[in-house]
Amino acid sequence: MEAIAVGRELGSRSGGHARVALFGHDVRVLADVLAGTGTEVLLADDPALAEYTPDGYGQAARAVVESANPRLILVAHTSQGYDLAPALAGAMDLPLVTNCLALRFDGERLIATRRLLNEKVQAEVEIASSRPIVATVRPGSVKPAGPSAGGTVSVMPVRIDPSKARTRFLSIERPQVQDIDIAGADIIVSAGRGIQKKENLPLIEEFARALGGVVGASRPLTDMDWLPKTRQVGQSGKTVRPKLYVACGISGAMQHVAGMKDASLIVAINTDPSAPIFEVAHVGIVADVLKLLPATLKELKS
Amino acid sequence: MPLNIVVCLKQIPNPDLQFQIAPDGKDIKRDALNYKLNGADEYALEEAVRLKEKSGGRVVALTAGPKRTEQMLREALAKGADEVIRIAFDEAAAYDVGKVSRLLAAAIRTVPHDLVLTGVQSDDLVNSATGGLVAGLLGLPHASVVTRVEVKGNGLEVACELEGGLQRLYSIALPAVLTIQFGANTPRYAPLPAIMKAARQPIKELSPTALGFASWDAVPLPYTFAVRELSPPAAKGHAEMITGTVDEQAKKLAQFLRDKGFGRR
Ligand SMILES: Cc1cc2nc3c(=O)[nH]c(=O)nc-3n(C[C@H](O)[C@H](O)[C@H](O)COP(=O)(O)OP(=O)(O)OC[C@H]3O[C@@H](n4cnc5c(N)ncnc54)[C@H](O)[C@@H]3O)c2cc1C
Ligand SMILES: Nc1ncnc2c1ncn2[C@@H]1O[C@H](COP(=O)(O)O)[C@@H](O)[C@H]1O
Repeated sequence: MEAIAVGRELGSRSGGHARVALFGHDVRVLADVLAGTGTEVLLADDPALAEYTPDGYGQAARAVVESANPRLILVAHTSQGYDLAPALAGAMDLPLVTNCLALRFDGERLIATRRLLNEKVQAEVEIASSRPIVATVRPGSVKPAGPSAGGTVSVMPVRIDPSKARTRFLSIERPQVQDIDIAGADIIVSAGRGIQKKENLPLIEEFARALGGVVGASRPLTDMDWLPKTRQVGQSGKTVRPKLYVACGISGAMQHVAGMKDASLIVAINTDPSAPIFEVAHVGIVADVLKLLPATLKELKS
Repeated sequence: MPLNIVVCLKQIPNPDLQFQIAPDGKDIKRDALNYKLNGADEYALEEAVRLKEKSGGRVVALTAGPKRTEQMLREALAKGADEVIRIAFDEAAAYDVGKVSRLLAAAIRTVPHDLVLTGVQSDDLVNSATGGLVAGLLGLPHASVVTRVEVKGNGLEVACELEGGLQRLYSIALPAVLTIQFGANTPRYAPLPAIMKAARQPIKELSPTALGFASWDAVPLPYTFAVRELSPPAAKGHAEMITGTVDEQAKKLAQFLRDKGFGRR
């Protein structure tokens, strides 16, 4: 929906229009929902598209690009999107720019705004080409497309050749939960790599207890098995909306922020004043978390 | 089944640092940076070496970068790579992922490859694009954000991470390209004798002509690319900061939390 919003905007500004390509099987209902944004939806329906595979969706995407010959192909920068988009660009020899916060045209040039180096540097890059440009749009950077009249659904015949599929879908694996569900907690104190050592986890636990909350974590900590995977906050973990979120030694990478930005009150503690977590936090403290938490605990108890 | 594996490694400036923009606005200031192996690539390298140890074969570590990357390549040798190749592409910043991917693809064509591994993203440019681009350019199947790889028959079975903790399992035919996710394994430390040995091992260097280009500027691209400007990000918002000594900060934080109704008596 966010990519549609970007497409609608760029289309109308440049005197063109946006069309939406939808791949799947038996997804007419979804096609109608997308048409509710006032766009023409090209629906490619095939049993081989029931589950995403890089090959099947790649074939479908190539067929759409060949027949529609667009100036710009927008894809969401999600794990599925950055699986599909670069391979499409490679296979069709197209220009590519990924993970864009904003896109605009300056004449023939596409100008993309991106973030580099842990969000600490912003970059504007330009691409010009006579060929369609592939771009991925970072989730959360624009408002999703709202409803608008005039949308249609047209069925686009694509034939996916399953014998050409070199990737085959097997199954979806769900995480087994036998832990507390941090998504239900009102207060979460999360630890990041900034706590340095596993031995410092009890400090985080004590602080969480003092506030009546639970312990969450950034991904590196669950990757290292300091905490179970169920405690991971972020894009590939849990999305949480507590009343209070305390980020202890967490830099604020976009994948982490995606899971906690909607907390009512965010307090961040980090030694680096330029850490991007201070952009989303309401209250920030530049301090060594290993010194600040014991001192704060003492204050809370007094 | 022995596997010829190529693993793509990138050396990046340590992202925990603070960065300044160069006067021309086209790059960061690079004189005082320290560099390291990109985070996800540590897992890609480890996965390559483990697959080789299990199935036999060879691991070639490949980078496109300036002379300083030799140190990273020696580290890869010490951790189990059999051969290392540096594409002598000296552009320090290399902001155009399309160009870098075309160089990597050209180099991969020159070595036997049943499997190509990259990291899921480079932590400096965060494109999450190189693996997929290389796969498309080479016409190979691919899978992204891989957390598990198993050799099954003539192919692989892989688990790919989706949002929210879900995994999607595929079977994939070889040769193939995979992008490896953080946490896919536990990277090893290089043993000291291996580090000593790696210091003496050769590093193969590829010039533009070795890859069939007249120069690095003559790599055919279907587009033109330029960095317009780097800038400090315009913050969407910024936290209210609690300042002072640690004790003062602690006092203010405790008071603040109490005022907001948090913290038991
Ligand atoms: C596909 C994909 C999915 C991902 N999904 C997730 C996800 O769901 N959740 C997630 O969290 N990450 C996820 N990540 C990883 C993410 O990109 C970051 O690597 C991760 O969030 C960084 O964790 P961190 O902030 O703890 O570590 P770092 O980035 O290493 O940050 C540590 C911070 O601690 C600070 N610090 C150091 N010492 C101290 C001290 N003594 N006191 C206070 N501060 C200190 C440092 O200044 C730094 O800012 C994902 C990545 C990818 C590619
Ligand atoms: N210059 C390079 N040399 C070798 N590998 C690279 C280079 N740039 C990117 N890669 C690989 O591509 C992965 C993804 O990078 P990116 O597409 O920039 O996010 C990295 O983790 C590396 O494995």
